Amino acid sequence: MSKQTIKIAAVVLCLVALAVIVPRGNSFVVLLVTRALAFAILAMSLDILLGFTGLASLGQAAYFGVAAYLTAILANRYGFGLHWDFWLMVPLGMLTGAALAAIFGLFAIRATGTYFLMITLALGQCVWGLAYRWNSMTGGDNGITMKGGRPQFGLDLTNDVTFFYLVFAFFAATLAALYVLVRSPFGKSLLGIRERELRMKILGYNVWLHKYVAFIIAGAFGGLSGVLWAHTNGIITPETVVLTTSVDALLMVVLGGAGTLVGAAIGSAIVFGLREFGSTLVPWWQYVLGAVYVLTILYLPMGLMGVPERLRQWRATQKKRTTKNLASVPS
Amino acid sequence: MTSILRKRLAPVLMGTALAAGLAMAAPAGAEELRIGYLAPLTGGLAQTGIDMRDGFQLYLDEHGGKLGGMDVKFIIEDEQGKGDVAVIKAKKLVLQDKVHMFIGGVLASTGYALAPVSTETKTMYIPSIPAADDLTQRQLKDFPYLIRTSWSSSQPHHPLGQWACDQGYKKITTIAADYAFGYEVVGGFQKTFEDCGGKIIQKIWPPLGTKDFGPFIPTIKADVDAVLSLMVGPMPAQFIKQMRGAGFKKPILGGGTSYDEFVLPFMGDEAIGDVSALHYSAALDTPKNIAFVKAYRAKFGKVPSYYSENNYTTAQWLDEALKKAGGKFPGPEELIKIMVSIKLDAVRGPVSFDDMRNPIQNIYIKKVEKKKMFGYEKDELWNTVIKTYPNVSQFWTYGKEKFLAQPVYNKDFPPCKFCE
Amino acid sequence: MNTDTTMNEPAPVLKLTNLCKSFGGLQATRDVTLRVMPGDRKAIIGPNGAGKTTLFNLITGIHPVTSGQIHLFGQDVTNWPSHRRTALGMARTFQVTSLFPKLTVIDNVLLAIEGLRPTKFVMWRFQSSYKDVYDKAHTLLEQAGFLDRKDTEVRNLSHGEQRQLEIVLGLASNPKILLLDEPAAGLSSGESTEMAHFLMKLDPTLAILLIEHDMDVVFDVADEISVLHFGELLETGTPEQIKQSTRVQEIYLGTD
Repeated sequence: MSKQTIKIAAVVLCLVALAVIVPRGNSFVVLLVTRALAFAILAMSLDILLGFTGLASLGQAAYFGVAAYLTAILANRYGFGLHWDFWLMVPLGMLTGAALAAIFGLFAIRATGTYFLMITLALGQCVWGLAYRWNSMTGGDNGITMKGGRPQFGLDLTNDVTFFYLVFAFFAATLAALYVLVRSPFGKSLLGIRERELRMKILGYNVWLHKYVAFIIAGAFGGLSGVLWAHTNGIITPETVVLTTSVDALLMVVLGGAGTLVGAAIGSAIVFGLREFGSTLVPWWQYVLGAVYVLTILYLPMGLMGVPERLRQWRATQKKRTTKNLASVPS
Repeated sequence: MTSILRKRLAPVLMGTALAAGLAMAAPAGAEELRIGYLAPLTGGLAQTGIDMRDGFQLYLDEHGGKLGGMDVKFIIEDEQGKGDVAVIKAKKLVLQDKVHMFIGGVLASTGYALAPVSTETKTMYIPSIPAADDLTQRQLKDFPYLIRTSWSSSQPHHPLGQWACDQGYKKITTIAADYAFGYEVVGGFQKTFEDCGGKIIQKIWPPLGTKDFGPFIPTIKADVDAVLSLMVGPMPAQFIKQMRGAGFKKPILGGGTSYDEFVLPFMGDEAIGDVSALHYSAALDTPKNIAFVKAYRAKFGKVPSYYSENNYTTAQWLDEALKKAGGKFPGPEELIKIMVSIKLDAVRGPVSFDDMRNPIQNIYIKKVEKKKMFGYEKDELWNTVIKTYPNVSQFWTYGKEKFLAQPVYNKDFPPCKFCE
Repeated sequence: MNTDTTMNEPAPVLKLTNLCKSFGGLQATRDVTLRVMPGDRKAIIGPNGAGKTTLFNLITGIHPVTSGQIHLFGQDVTNWPSHRRTALGMARTFQVTSLFPKLTVIDNVLLAIEGLRPTKFVMWRFQSSYKDVYDKAHTLLEQAGFLDRKDTEVRNLSHGEQRQLEIVLGLASNPKILLLDEPAAGLSSGESTEMAHFLMKLDPTLAILLIEHDMDVVFDVADEISVLHFGELLETGTPEQIKQSTRVQEIYLGTD
């Protein structure tokens, strides 16, 4: 129990630090952190599938993209979601993500392993194709620029710092909600499915249903991320829903450490940081990112959240060696 | 407990420290002209981006790194050919580097993505390549800080349609990349060609990036007089090879990017004789252009494309405007006002602005020929200018009001009245 | 829960009628008919490849049957998915240990207990807030002598401990019939004896169907033994009868 308390305290401390420090940075940093936080919600939703259920989905950008497009289309065409009704847009985006996941899940959940990967990839690309080809609705290749700016409802979200706090609040709420989820009986059942699906069936779990529900929940939070992303960026293009977005999310989870939630957020921060600053510093930043991924997968299967564990193991072996050396010194 | 602290806290703290570290890295503002430059330096469009940058850089190098007497801090960002990346990079340039203006982007979609950023941040934006018509037409009112030094998509293709009609072509099939730029090129061509009495009898839209035209070529109707193609990136060279390989003997006309100097080196002799239109040709036989081509080729080892020329000219235009402003940045509105008042003798010919901040310029009808030029040793493909339409505006001969009353060219406009 | 009512019920706990299964051309199960009554301790023996595990997989719904029927507590479950059969009160263990290796011992048991409770769908409360489930897990682990290792990850347990935990997981849902697939597989002879004692101590109303290679365990635990050969039940009898049967010795004991 006290272990848990310490962990939670640590995360809360970091969140508070983030909320205090970031607004003091320059306005680009505020924007950058806002983006990383909004995207981290997508990465965490994927972690529910990858880290906790053992389902490597390559289609998570679909829910993200559909909600982002919906936000942009409703705002541009009907002015919906730009005032107090932003608070309707948020659940609407989540519902849309969940509904799409509910449909996709019917196809995807039957498959496992590589087949699951391929099906989710294909379904995700369907959404991309739709975004790209359905010109009259999505603006095709040009995408949609949100003309109305960000919502204003007492709070003026066009102010980047205010908007940062909003996204920060959503991020913290998502982290808390998903944390409760993964420690709930349902969350534990997902872990069981990840570890040994057959045993779960024999223990009386309707494994398909549990996976399906997890898939839908991940879709809902993907949708939330999409709504925030639309307002963060102010522009939605087919690039937003293309495969790379799904891959990015997947790599962030792996980089930070799958099955840790916080790891997904750290992965998001690092990827955004490297991308925006690395690309300014060195033209070969992509190789840096690539190398980071490869090294992580090779040497840190638990991701960055596994670093302290690794260090401890290393220290333990070092200690053993020194005691051995001492013992072998002739007295 | 400490071990738990270490285990769980360390990675989280690392993340926070990183964010905090980034927050401290703010730049200091010095008295200089800070230009943010957005070009794709990685990804499929990287080579285009390099041509763009080199064009701008060449002008700076020739003028001691100064524009209008001001020291230029030239900050290049990689926009990767993606609109949403361009947006965040532009915001970085404005918010962090405090640039006075940002320039660039390649795709029309990137232009559409960047223009609202200029409005939102009240920063000058020069789309030095993005050609989307509406940036300087129906949507210009939304973009008070935008001024375009390049072209609009349909601008060279109005004259090309007229020219095709003048050749006596009656029936033409269009085959163009399936996206907004393709629609605007085909639309402009169709408008003038049909107004003159020609008929577009078929429109084929292969997806952007198509390399195998096998499924499309056989559908081209046998009784056409010519084909109009609009290809981009790696598509043009493949398209010509496969068209001629399939035994198509009739004339092939091209939108600007089907035969620009960027793609010519990748083409074989099968391209010889094809005709296209653009506001620049590297084969322009003017002293200014010859000097430009030689300097550029000496420095970068290749013939400049319109990507290079447009950016060179952008730098030149800024140079003149800043001189007029007295060697200081007068603010975006004022600088745009000054630029609009300047008629420039550019590499591509005389250029000036219309009242919607798009250049009025010569449009060159060019034919691909294999020959030696400017004293270079080898036989190479060049875009020989066979006809010049002087001082062409983005509205062609229709007049601004009448032109803007019609919708922006798209897949369904102008409607294909003669398609069967 | 209510073992008394099952006791009074005439219906068998498990009834297999003319069960057949073929994989392509291979007939893995041929016309197997078997009844298990409450409290029965039955064993199925047979040489490797006789189709013992296949039979279990048919009973638990992992493989669909080719023909024949399976009745659990009087209900025809032939076409039911695994989890619904489990819900009726059936549990099984696996020949190859099938625990949750990266979870702790207690989490393994908690999963097994939650399997048949509606709270397994609750996602807004911590698992740890369900005191009754926790207490039950504690009791189970205490009985099995695992309490001191409850926070150990299962992959760090010894093989013998994992075999025991397999059975604890099987018992966690209070089953009325337990299918044990070679519980002594890979155990030393000392550990096997321990396992046999552990099994003999289980609730006498619990029906057990056992597949086992280790004859000592079988003869200790089972009241009735059936011999499976090429998917077919050859002979059924008391341990004594089976020991005496020359036919069995020929095909099985002799070849062992």
